[in-house]
Amino acid sequence: MRAGEVGRALLGLVVLAGLLLPWLSVAPNRLLPGVAASGFAAISWAAPAALVAVVLAVPQRLPAWLGAPAALAGVALLLTATGWAAALSLEGLAPAARAGLGGGFWLGLVAGAALVVARAAALPGMGRAVLAAFALLTLLLLWQAGTFEALSLVVEYRAREAVVHAALLRHLALAGAALALALLLAVPLAWAGFRRPGAAGPVGAALGAVQVVPAIALFAALIPLLAGLLALLPALRSLGLGAIGPAPAVLATAGYLALPLWRSVLGGLTAADPAAVAAARAMGMTEGGITREVRLPLALPVFAGGLRVAVVQAIGLVTLGGLVGAGGLGALVFEGLAQFATDLMLLGALPIMALALAADALIRLLEHRLGGSA
Amino acid sequence: MIRFENVSVRFGTTEALSGVNLQVAAGVLCALVGPSGSGKSTLMKLVNRLVEPSAGRVLVRGADVAGQDPARLRRSIGYVMQSTGLFPHRSVAANIGTVPRLLGWDSSRIAARVAALLELVQLDPALAQRLPGALSGGQAQRVGLARALAADPDILLMDEPFGAVDPITRRDLRAELRRIHAETGKTILLVTHDPEEALELASQVVVLRDGAVVADGAPAALVAEDAPDFARTLLGGGQPGLRRLSLLPAEVARDGRPAPADAPRLASGATLADALSRMAESGHGVLALGDGSLRLEAVLARGR
Repeated sequence: MRAGEVGRALLGLVVLAGLLLPWLSVAPNRLLPGVAASGFAAISWAAPAALVAVVLAVPQRLPAWLGAPAALAGVALLLTATGWAAALSLEGLAPAARAGLGGGFWLGLVAGAALVVARAAALPGMGRAVLAAFALLTLLLLWQAGTFEALSLVVEYRAREAVVHAALLRHLALAGAALALALLLAVPLAWAGFRRPGAAGPVGAALGAVQVVPAIALFAALIPLLAGLLALLPALRSLGLGAIGPAPAVLATAGYLALPLWRSVLGGLTAADPAAVAAARAMGMTEGGITREVRLPLALPVFAGGLRVAVVQAIGLVTLGGLVGAGGLGALVFEGLAQFATDLMLLGALPIMALALAADALIRLLEHRLGGSA
Repeated sequence: MIRFENVSVRFGTTEALSGVNLQVAAGVLCALVGPSGSGKSTLMKLVNRLVEPSAGRVLVRGADVAGQDPARLRRSIGYVMQSTGLFPHRSVAANIGTVPRLLGWDSSRIAARVAALLELVQLDPALAQRLPGALSGGQAQRVGLARALAADPDILLMDEPFGAVDPITRRDLRAELRRIHAETGKTILLVTHDPEEALELASQVVVLRDGAVVADGAPAALVAEDAPDFARTLLGGGQPGLRRLSLLPAEVARDGRPAPADAPRLASGATLADALSRMAESGHGVLALGDGSLRLEAVLARGR
């Protein structure tokens, strides 16, 4: 048995464990705990069928073009059957009743999806793209067909559709603003540090000090600080700056992003081989030409690494903006926490995770491209 | 072609060069030798303004470099360095085409020039699209040489170009440089710490010590008896007499008298050191050379 096979077998076991754990629970309303059923009880015959399909991705002897789609079909079956089972379990109950997803479902879903990805790794690039497109299409069709409408999470989403969409956009805007502000701060500082290496030490220490402050403390501390500033300079208020709201969230997040960005720009600029720079100068390139043609191209892969860290951090940290009135998906999470409404928390948390993972994957791809050409 | 007039260079409080006067004629391969810290690299870098003199003048093609735009001056002078300094993110072809591109040549002319240069430095044309990381040390050094020659400069500066390659590759590259110099007739300033390399390649050798020129002349003259001690010791490597013989062609000691019938024949183009070795091997004091002869006493007389 090869290492990859062992890993996939473990993932298969996790899917089985998920099916044995609470999968679906029926509760009288969105806040009260419900009565849970295991996967095998909740989705009956579909559970063993999906398990068999998913496990087809484990053996190395079965080709990947067969194993990966089989596992994908298994995951799709789990989703569909769970949606149907939820609808069935609510029949004849009061409209306030909810069919909630249990821990077993999430475990099984994540392990099943990981199994598809692991097996698809053996496919050529084209095959992976087709499989990914097929997976997205299936998900979209199931969603459009109303398969998941009975699930508590979807009911919660339908009830707050506009709020969730607005929060998502707000989240992206906050993260983008923080990133832009951090770049405005970090890039000139890095350039100065590159030109005068003596300046790099104190700047690094100052930016590093921000990292030491716990994030929640920094977000909170900015409120009185900004309030004091606004009291001194009321004119700032007309620029849209407030002691609560987006200003402290963006400022605090930017403060955290500045270090990885500064470090990667500086690291990238100094990454250029001194001999290459010396040769460029000796051949008659101007200083601007050397920066444009030698330093920057050699800096980009390093910079992309720092940008990836910063973007993922931005998406995560802006969540705390929910505590200082900045809105965003964080506001949903904290509202859910306050109400102890799991579905509402998930409604905020799941998109945050998806955004962070997507941003990470996208910039990784970019880094790979840059690294490949460098 | 290149003239240093009373040039001094000061870095902070240390004097790197003091009062250097030197002339290198067009088409000459001039080697600058000396221990590290002697100022040989600094002297070379004055030519393309990588270093500025604190006193004196540097004339290139008859004009003081101080009045010339550094970037334009550097584009007109080839530069080869020990660590090659190839751009790691650019293909071999793009590396070689750097200066022509800076000079605004069109792409078809650059491509033709790159192909011609790959042939000149005897590199496989298939390497053109590779990145420098995929080259061996010797190949990278050849690319560095091709890049320096790209815009057909009449002057070439070489800063210990063969210092970082293995001995066999170094020998090949030296032979290559000698061939290219003979083919193109460029003025070459070669910085080296290897006396053997200087004597083998150069027609003019300049010995530096502590920022001053201590000897300047033809290789054979610098290992002769009347050469300055420091130069003779540095270049002679413990056997200055033998080294001098190896630098002189056998023809200089030939006399018109025919050689005895049993005298071994010396190939044309051989040096006096070759002749001495031939005599030691065969036990004969007289060799046949052309239609004349070469006698031991005449050889020994040239060793001083």
